[in-house]
Amino acid sequence: MPAIIGLIVGIVVGIFIKPDVPIALQPYLPIMVVAAIDALLGSARAYFERSFSDRVFVISFLSNVVTAALLVFLGDQLGVGSQLTTAVIVVLGIRIFSNVSAIRRFIFRG
Amino acid sequence: MKQIQHDDGGKASQKPAFKRFWHQEMADELNDDLSTGTFPQVKKKPPKTRRSGRAKILTSILMTLLCALLGFGYVTQLQNSQSSYSTLSEDELVRLLDETSKQIDNLESQKSQLSEQLKSIQSAADKQKEVERVAKENEESSGILSGRLPAQGEGVVITIGQKDKHIPASTMFTLIEELRNAGAEVMEFDGVRVVTSTSLLDTENGLNCSGQNVEPPYVIKAIGDPSSLQNAVQIAGGVGSQLRVKYGAGVTVKQSDNVQIDSVRQSTDYKYAKTVE
Repeated sequence: MPAIIGLIVGIVVGIFIKPDVPIALQPYLPIMVVAAIDALLGSARAYFERSFSDRVFVISFLSNVVTAALLVFLGDQLGVGSQLTTAVIVVLGIRIFSNVSAIRRFIFRG
Repeated sequence: MKQIQHDDGGKASQKPAFKRFWHQEMADELNDDLSTGTFPQVKKKPPKTRRSGRAKILTSILMTLLCALLGFGYVTQLQNSQSSYSTLSEDELVRLLDETSKQIDNLESQKSQLSEQLKSIQSAADKQKEVERVAKENEESSGILSGRLPAQGEGVVITIGQKDKHIPASTMFTLIEELRNAGAEVMEFDGVRVVTSTSLLDTENGLNCSGQNVEPPYVIKAIGDPSSLQNAVQIAGGVGSQLRVKYGAGVTVKQSDNVQIDSVRQSTDYKYAKTVE
């Protein structure tokens, strides 16, 4: 419940404030968002598996986001930023798909 | 007994006294059970009950905050991703640049084509205007010449008062010829426009000018240089003195800055003559 409220509040605030992304943060923000979505879906899956822990969620959320951003940052330093961004996106995408399929299995018992 | 207390760890001492005592009571009851000869059972507590309400509130606030951050970041990225080139790779940027410069070239060539067209159309329009101007000028001058249009300008007004003697048409014709020689551009004989085909006839009733009877005093208007026109009439031994001496007519020549000739002559339809193309 707090997760849904938080999502709604964040989206509304984002729509009304319309902030400009600082240039230093521009390549990292999409990755961070995707990582956060992955963490959210992972926690949803844990919720359906009855093993949800809010502490674990907080830690996994933060670690996901930070790891993704750090990876992209590292890639930028090494000159393979765009490739590493793609890699992170692919991995997170696969995770998102597996999480979603797990959730679907819980919902439809299929 | 001691083991149970150790299981709680250091946290047990921080718990409220009542709870601690209650736990102790339960543990004692279990441990003091003498009904069987088994060893006292040591149960591990589920970890969930360990956490207090305050920590739960804290984590749920954190969760809310993180999810809010996610939503915020998502919307922000959504609004900014449309116009940012920074996420594009080098190849894409180069391709974009190429496309843009190609487009610029196309537009430039289109522009030059269009401006050429514009120039040609403008010159055509200028020519057209020039032709129109010449045509209008021609029309005006030919209209004045053929007597189709009324005219005005400086010139002279000649009044010839006839006494008892009839003035013959030939003398009048001489007068008109003299005026013409003096550079009269437009002439009117007693309300009849004088053009190339104007005729003067002697009839029983007097003078007939282009089929119209004219009565004395004859008023002849002529547009041209006033002084030379006056000289043409008043010159010694000229047509003016001839009129005075021969026919006893009163001839007055009045110079005017604005002689107005309103009479016009309908243009004739030429039956045989045609313009040369």
